[in-house]
This record gives sequence, structure tokens and C-alpha cells, in this order.
Amino acid sequence: MKYICKKIITLIMTLFLVSAAAFLAFQVIPGDVVTSILGTEATPEMEELLREELGLNDPPVERYMNWVSGVLKGDLGVSYRYSKSMNERMPVAELIGDKLPVTLWLAFYSLILIIVISIPLGVLWARSKNHYLDAALNVISQTAMAVPAFFLGILVTYLFGIILKCFTPGGYVSYREDFAGFMHYLLFPAISIAIPKIAMTARFLRNSMLTEMRSDYVRTAYSKGCTNRRVMYAHVLRNALMPVVTFLGMIIAETIAGSIVVEQVFGLPGVGRLLISSISTRDFPVVEILVLYITSVVIIVYALIDILYRMIDPRISSK
Amino acid sequence: MIKIDHLSVAFDGTEVVKNVTIEIGDGEIVGVVGESGSGKSVTALTLMGLVAEDAVLTSGRILFDDVVLAEAGKTRDKALYQKYQGDEMTMIFQEPMTSLNPTKRVGAQVEEVLKLHTKLSKEEMKEKVLKTFASVGLKDTKKVYDSYPHQLSGGMRQRVMIAMAIILKPKLLVADEPTTALDVTIQNQIIALLKEINEKQKNAMLFITHDLNLARRLCHRIVVMKDGCIVEQGETKQIYEAPKEAYTRRLMEAVPSRIPKKVPRVSGEEILRVEHLDVYYPAGSNSLFARKEKNHVVKDAGFTLHKGEVLGLVGESGCGKTSLSKAILGMNRDVTGVISHDTVRPQMIFQDPYSSLNPTKTIGWLLEEPLRAAGKLDKSLAMTKEDRRAMVYEMLKKIDLKESYYDRKPSQLSGGQRQRVSIGQALITKPGFIVADEPVSALDVTIQAQIMELMQQFQEEMQLSYLFISHDINVVYRMCDRVMVMKDGRIIETGDTQEIFDHPKEEYTKLLLLNS
Repeated sequence: MKYICKKIITLIMTLFLVSAAAFLAFQVIPGDVVTSILGTEATPEMEELLREELGLNDPPVERYMNWVSGVLKGDLGVSYRYSKSMNERMPVAELIGDKLPVTLWLAFYSLILIIVISIPLGVLWARSKNHYLDAALNVISQTAMAVPAFFLGILVTYLFGIILKCFTPGGYVSYREDFAGFMHYLLFPAISIAIPKIAMTARFLRNSMLTEMRSDYVRTAYSKGCTNRRVMYAHVLRNALMPVVTFLGMIIAETIAGSIVVEQVFGLPGVGRLLISSISTRDFPVVEILVLYITSVVIIVYALIDILYRMIDPRISSK
Repeated sequence: MIKIDHLSVAFDGTEVVKNVTIEIGDGEIVGVVGESGSGKSVTALTLMGLVAEDAVLTSGRILFDDVVLAEAGKTRDKALYQKYQGDEMTMIFQEPMTSLNPTKRVGAQVEEVLKLHTKLSKEEMKEKVLKTFASVGLKDTKKVYDSYPHQLSGGMRQRVMIAMAIILKPKLLVADEPTTALDVTIQNQIIALLKEINEKQKNAMLFITHDLNLARRLCHRIVVMKDGCIVEQGETKQIYEAPKEAYTRRLMEAVPSRIPKKVPRVSGEEILRVEHLDVYYPAGSNSLFARKEKNHVVKDAGFTLHKGEVLGLVGESGCGKTSLSKAILGMNRDVTGVISHDTVRPQMIFQDPYSSLNPTKTIGWLLEEPLRAAGKLDKSLAMTKEDRRAMVYEMLKKIDLKESYYDRKPSQLSGGQRQRVSIGQALITKPGFIVADEPVSALDVTIQAQIMELMQQFQEEMQLSYLFISHDINVVYRMCDRVMVMKDGRIIETGDTQEIFDHPKEEYTKLLLLNS
């Protein structure tokens, strides 16, 4: 309980710092939201009108304070750029709420793929006494790690979409309309995200297991009459997973925060794409909330990993 | 009966065990004694079928009753071995901490033996484990059953290992240095326990050790090994009273059994004074919100060290010896109290010459490093490259190493040679006193004697003072003028070595002396 309280206080403090930093960054970087909305042809009067409407004429500190008090009351503000209807701006909560499920489902999908495939693969790799299998896995994982994300996305589209015709490239269906269709389409971007991460995790696990295999307790296990298989799964795997869990944590945080490149390649309306477009149009309210979202995800995932770590390694909690 | 029959084992074409024949009858304890590298562990591991996969049997076989478990020229039959391992033949290892799986409860780890070799129900298994725990002298067996290895003390862990080894009453029990990693008081309990088990279960035991005294107390027969060969074997009494081979005699002489100190005591001026010293570690996490607590490891320590004196510091592991020495060297800043001395940089000799020397540097570089460091701190001590080199060559001579060692790497040196380098490093800046933290504990007995002689020689020549830390009472007796006994962070008794050994005041000191 005390642990959770501590983590929550840390989270809130970090969020404050990060939001202030993001606000500051927006003050410093060149570019103006008004010109980006109205274009260069707008008259000064029109610009002034919009400026007044968005509250951009207030002093920066006041604007930040207003924004903070709004967020604390649960009002995430309205987007500068997106409109809901002709004379109503899009609330940020609604805007992000619409795109968040896409990113979360995509992340969930990829993580399942990563965990389900990389762990058995890592164990298999560590056990492979066969020289050829070892070498083959080595080459494959090197390649998978080295291919850039956008190119891998294109390859997956080409192979599954155009040759095998498993899905229609660019045929994204919203989860609101057809959930099954949505999940089907999402599988392929998920594969693109998962492939390099699977390669990394499997390699990492394999190395960790080989290191663990040299431990004294492994010899003890053999002295009891354990078979190779039992030694691997009942003794080594859990100990070898500890460094891998930290690594998986980083991957999870990264994926939930949004995979900008893959969302772009597969035309997915997720938060990653929203972040990029909002930054380029200087849509400050949207960017601020996205930054808060990403920060929270990273901190919360790391806290969960910390708890998981304690569960795997009994030595930590008693220290 | 178990027979190791004309066994030779090779790694990469080099034989490390040569034509070894050992027979162990039921109820018999056979000790294999030798220094590290003598092939005793490889012999035991081969017998158990646990030797590394790249080991090749170049001759001989392993017989268990009449079954051939392994034979030269045949591939290892793992399935056959797995039937015996844990059931008919079991092994106890040196390091009980690392030999147990850190992430599994010890109850489950012992139970695994039953799972692999019996068809007992869950409840029966647990009951049997608890019973065995009680029979190896573990108290509060239910709590132990649910503990993880790190929650137990070293002695308790070794008892768990023994429980694991004897739970199915094996015909053969192999113990590879089972007490080396334990404190003396615990050592004796473990030896007594092994004796008791042997009498009750009548197992054949193979007891591997470098410690002749231990072997003498436990074993019926002794096999002396050197460089992979058997030098001599016979009844324990015969080996001790009438050793045939010179090597056996040398091994026995090298054991530091209460040899009095050779170097006369010189008591010069005071060079180190410690008063009311507390050493602590900040407890709790380094989080912003954690209250800062102090975890005291040394409490109210006070003593003085005089020029030319050797002051011994004795105590079991975890009593605060090393924390105290680190505080004196200034490596630990969380202290209160007074530490006063004139030495610019007191030096230290470390326990493990394998890990305390940087493996990527040459011996010359390592010996020069203290000079370089001193020069960087104090410009007046800065030396030219040639001067440093000259001093290193001089030091190599003093520590009995050839000049050609200048360009070698630590990995090309033996343990004893590395410890010489370690001593050379400590001495090259001519400090007033040296903290020696278990300087001979990681070495073989014959090497131990040499290193102690070298240290005494320097003491005489340079009027050096040592703060000599050890858990080995006999080593302390041989080296020290005065002795301090430490327990749970406090110095409980201080006095002249002879006085302490003849008339110890504290119960704990008596116990320490009794058990060595």
C-alpha cells in the first residue's frame, strides 16, 4: 500500500515537471499556431480574432496556470486545429479517446505476439546444441533487428497484403463499425512491430539462459537426476527471465506510447500519428495531453515491471 | 561397493586426472586431499556424472556395485546416470548459497528429489522433507520449508543441501569441500552431522578437501592427490603417523597448526589510532521519500596500532571486520568517531588475488599504478616513467618474481604469484601500515605458508605494521602480536596473542579457539 502511494506521488510530480517542460518547449520553438491554421493569406484582423479566441494573448504563465487548473478539474481543453462542427472546437478528450483504442489494441496485440513467440524461441535457441540451428537463428535475428521499421511495414504489406492477400492494404476499418474486421486488419501492423522485438527478446533470453546454465545450482539440479529439459524449464528459465523482464518493460512502454512509423505505414488513426500532426501544427492542448499520456504509460508500466520483478525474484522484496 | 577404476580424464587433450583408482566400501569415508588443481574435484564430478560435457574419459571406468556407469570410449549414458543421481548417489557442494536455486523455496527444492525418484503423494513428500530437515538439525522445519535460500544462514543452507543429499538414503554421498565456505563454528557442526549420517545410514562417502586436519577428523582412509595423480593412499592413521611420500609430509607441515610467531615484536610509536568508531550503512531505498535509517555494522570500536606491530582482527563472516578495515582506509565515508594516522595512503591486501587484479593490464602496469596515483594526488611524489619502472623491477625482486613477469597478465600467474603482486602493489608506495583482509584465505596451504613468510620478512625489513584480518585462528596465531576479537560489530576482547590463546576471557573467544 505504502509502495503504491509512493509511486502515485512520484507519478504526479513527474507529470507536473513534464507538462511544464512541454509548455516551455512550445514557447521556444519557432512556428505559430495561428498561421498554421489560417494559412499565409489571412489578414491581420482575422489572425487577431483567432488569437483572442484561443486565449493566446494572455501572458504565458497565466496560460499555463489556466491549463493546469483545467486539467485538474478534468477539462482537458479543446484542440486548436480540429473542429467538431462548424462553430465548435474538438475537445481534446474526445479526440484522443477516439484514437487511443487503436493504439492500445495494437500494443496489446504486438505484446502477445512478442511474449508468446520470443520466450519459447529463446529457450529453444539456448538449448540448440545443433550448430546449424544456432547459426540460422543468429542470422535471422540479426536481420530482423536490422531492418528499419518502415521497410518492414512495407514488406509485411507486400507479402501478406499483395501476394498472400490476407488483408487489403489501406483498408482500415474502424473498431466502432466492425470489431472483427478491425482486429483482422490490426494483426499485420502488430506483426511488423513484433518481429524486431521478438528477435531482440529471444536473443536476450538465450544469452541470459546460457549465462545461468553455468550457475552452481544448475549442477545441483543435475545431481538430483533432473533431465536437461527439466533443468531448463524448472530451474533456469525463471532466473534467466529477470533481466528479460526489464527489457520487455521498455518494449511495452514504447509500444503503448504509440508506434509512429507503423501507424503511418498502415494508415492507422492512432495516437502516434496524432502526436506527429499535432506537433507540426502547433496544436498545443493536444500535444500536452499526449505528452502526459506517454509519461504516465512509461511510469506505470515501469512500476508494474517492478512489482513483477519482486514476484519473480524473492530476494528483492526482503532487502 | 563403488570403484573408480584406472580413471583418466582429459580436457582439450590435456589430462587432468591420470590413472586414478579409488575404492569406497559401504559405510566407509574416504578423503581425497589435495591442493587446487590436483584433479580431486574433476574425479568427484566424473564419478557423479556431472563433469562438463567437453571432458573425455581417456581410460578406465566407474563401477557402481556391478553396473558400469561410465567407461572410456563410450558416450555418456545420461539416462542411466539420471536413475542413480539424487537417489543412489548424491553430492554436497562447497557453496550452499549458489548451489541452491535462488528463486525457489528450499522445501520445493528438496522435494524435487522425491518427485524425480519416488511415487509418494504430495502430503507424504512434504512430511518426509520436514522429517529429514529435523534429522539434519534444522529447527522450525515448517518455516525453513517455506524459506528462500537467502533467508537462511550459511550453516542452515548447507544443512538443507545435506537434507537434499540424504533424503533417499543414498549408497554413495560425495561431499566436495562442504565446509570451506562456512565459519569455523559451523564447520564443526557440519562435520559432526556428516559423521552421524554415515553411522546411521552406512553410506559410502567420498570427502573432498584441501584441509588435512578436517580429513583426519572425519575419514577412515585418505587419498592424497597431486597434479591429477594419486601420490599416496592408506588408512588415516598410517598417512598421518608414517607418511611415505615427501609431498604428503609437505602438505602436513604446511598446515598452520599453532606455529608461534617468528618475528620478534618491536613496539615503536603509535601509527594508527581508532576511537569510538561507528560504521553504518544508510538503510532503505534511495527514494526521495524513504526515511534515512542507519544500519550499524561496527559499533564503538577503539584500538591503536604501533610501528612494527601486527594486530590481528578475528571474527566470523558478517561480524564487521571488512567494514572496519574499509573505514580505516577511507573507502567508507559513513562513519562517526576518530581515525587518526600519518600515512598518506594506507594500502590494502585483498583476499582474492583472482578478482582484485585487473585482468586486462600487465603486472608491471598494476605495480606502477599506486605510484602513478600518488603522483597525481601530490605533485611532489610524481615520478618519471623510468623511475617507476626501476622501482617496479626492484619490487618484483623483493616479491620473488622474475623480471620477465613485468609484461605478463594476471591470468598467466598462479594464485600465490598473484597474491605476491597484490602485496607488491600495497608496498610499493612504502606506506606506514597495511590492512590485510584475509590475505591467505583463498590460497592453498603450501602457498599460504610462503605468503605469510613473505609478509613477515617485509615486516622485519621495513618496520611495517599490519592490521591482519582473518577467520583462521591458526594463521592469526602465527602472524600476530596482538589480537582483537570481533562479534556483531563490537570488539569484545583485545590482548596479546599468547594471552588470548592461553586465557580467553569471553565465552565467544573460547568457542572460536575450541573450534579450530
